[in-house]
Amino acid sequence: MIKKRKSLWRRLKENRAVQTLSTILLPVLFGVLIIALWQGQILHKIFNTDINTLPLPSRICRIILDNLPSIGENALYTIIVALAGLIIGSIIGYLIAVFASLFQKWGAGGLTIVGAFNAIPIVALAPVMSNWTKDVSSDPNFRSMVAKTLVVMIVCIASMSINAFRGLTELKPFALDLMSSYAAKKRTVFFKLRLPNSIPYVFTALRVSVPISIISAVVSEYFAEYIVGVGREIRENIVLGQYPTAWAYIVVACLIGIAMYGLLMAVEAIVLKNRRIKN
Amino acid sequence: MKIKRNAKKALSLCCAAVILVSAFAGCGSSSSSSSSSSSSGSSSESSSSGTLMSNEEIIKKAAADGKVGNWGLGNEYEILALLQKYDLPTDYLAEDFTMDGFDQDDITLASAMTYNELGLVKNDYDGGYKYGDTVGVIDMNDEGVAMLEDNIFCTKKFAEENPNTVKAFLYASMKGWKYAVENPDEAAEIVFEAGSSVSADHQSYMAKEVAKLVTTDTKGNTVSDYGKMDEEAMQQTLDLCKQYIQFDDSAAAKKLEGFTLDDIRDNQYIEAATASTDGNFGKLEKDKVTIQLKWLPQAQFMGYYVAKAKGYYDEVGLDVTITPGGGDISETTAVSNGTVDFGVTWVANLTSANAGGMELLEVAQVYQRSGLELVYKKELFTK
Repeated sequence: MIKKRKSLWRRLKENRAVQTLSTILLPVLFGVLIIALWQGQILHKIFNTDINTLPLPSRICRIILDNLPSIGENALYTIIVALAGLIIGSIIGYLIAVFASLFQKWGAGGLTIVGAFNAIPIVALAPVMSNWTKDVSSDPNFRSMVAKTLVVMIVCIASMSINAFRGLTELKPFALDLMSSYAAKKRTVFFKLRLPNSIPYVFTALRVSVPISIISAVVSEYFAEYIVGVGREIRENIVLGQYPTAWAYIVVACLIGIAMYGLLMAVEAIVLKNRRIKN
Repeated sequence: MKIKRNAKKALSLCCAAVILVSAFAGCGSSSSSSSSSSSSGSSSESSSSGTLMSNEEIIKKAAADGKVGNWGLGNEYEILALLQKYDLPTDYLAEDFTMDGFDQDDITLASAMTYNELGLVKNDYDGGYKYGDTVGVIDMNDEGVAMLEDNIFCTKKFAEENPNTVKAFLYASMKGWKYAVENPDEAAEIVFEAGSSVSADHQSYMAKEVAKLVTTDTKGNTVSDYGKMDEEAMQQTLDLCKQYIQFDDSAAAKKLEGFTLDDIRDNQYIEAATASTDGNFGKLEKDKVTIQLKWLPQAQFMGYYVAKAKGYYDEVGLDVTITPGGGDISETTAVSNGTVDFGVTWVANLTSANAGGMELLEVAQVYQRSGLELVYKKELFTK
């Protein structure tokens, strides 16, 4: 009797369909449990807080549904800043990495400097950029968009250039030897070997950059001249004591982050379909 | 070979560092040159020809240029009311906590508190922009859109459970305010020693300006009952709140719509405190209390620092801790969740917090008139 049950358990455990189901089901169940505890105000007892500071999910959802157009507009500005900064920053970061890989002896030192940029807190960077871009345009919304994008860009440059540099230089030893035995030109080595080798590293960088780009966009909005964006709404509402509305925007910020990360995963799955990162 | 490589590496590091430094120096110098050019422009022949525009014309011109500034975060309602009074679109630029935007003409009509930013704009002490009389101001009280600012509040529950403590705290605080208003220089010194965020000169300027706000009402009459809540001014503040506070949360919006003064203030505590001659209200329910300020330590809050330094709180048997505010530490939140007992905030902030679900109660109104003004350079607004 016991033996039979055990084998059923084992069969379930080894069943692939069940495995896939459980990887999806378990996190979802966990989420549902948290939301249930939250709505049932048990979470409030655990954290010793009230429904003012931690509003109920039902109220948060209602605020989101009531204000879809204005939330959508704010979210759009945040997404534009995050995406533009991410794309421009990643491209610049990659070009820096390419440049550094061409002059490796110099490049490694240069990348240390780029890495140092990564250590500057966004809180320090954002006001500097706001001040720097104030002559860019007479439209305050546009110039603060530029300032915010610059902040996101700088943060993204660092992670991309350092990762891509590794991808461009950490080749399999025999591969480089093989290329030189073919008397391949530097250009050929770059396009046939270095570039393809760097692609998985690019995705590694993006996995870091995507969440960071959202965070930087949200934080840089705090310091922007023009009042728009999800981050700015969070701050304004918290200062005004409007916690339910602030939480609505926090939820929206989370959704943006999850959506962008999901998108990245999908793209990665397609691009790296026939590849496996070997480390 | 190895030495050579290391040398190259060091050289490359140096190169990159130099480029970096020069880039930063470049952006710094460009901004400083623009600021110096603008300030030299203001000092030269500002009253050359033409007459100054009227307040209405100034507001309309600045609004048309999109160069009206305010800090936002609940400080903007008077500006919105003013813009709407002249049928203008209610857009404004976000000011930071310096007056650089005004100095560089990014904002031509900038929000300034009489006791703080305006002093920095006019005066020539450390941190001042030295504009002197070349700037003019538009007063919210004169424009009829004044909203009341610094008050004293606690939660409704705290006031109910500790009525004697509240009365004693108000009695001693108002005694502190009275002394501070009569001796602003000494008050400024006390605040400066208590851990000031700004220079002693500015502190002294601030103390004198704050004294005016505490002793004069919105119509310019002298007030002798410090801390009293003037019905008419309170009602005007609440009406403007209802008109201009925008909520995304429909429940909060509905709640605000139904508010009367009784939802945000209670007169009995300050009336008892004013009537008392010795500050004895019976047994104190709580003798250790904290008050959180709306901002960093400065003469804006001199009454509390004076009451503490002069021992007025000790006289009524209270041990008071003053917690500075600043940045995003919201005083309404701190009082609401019981971190502190009392708070200093603006009536509009308290109203919107209550609409959002907090249960706060104003027990005294320290500032009797609005300290918000719009400052402009006269040279930019002459006909």
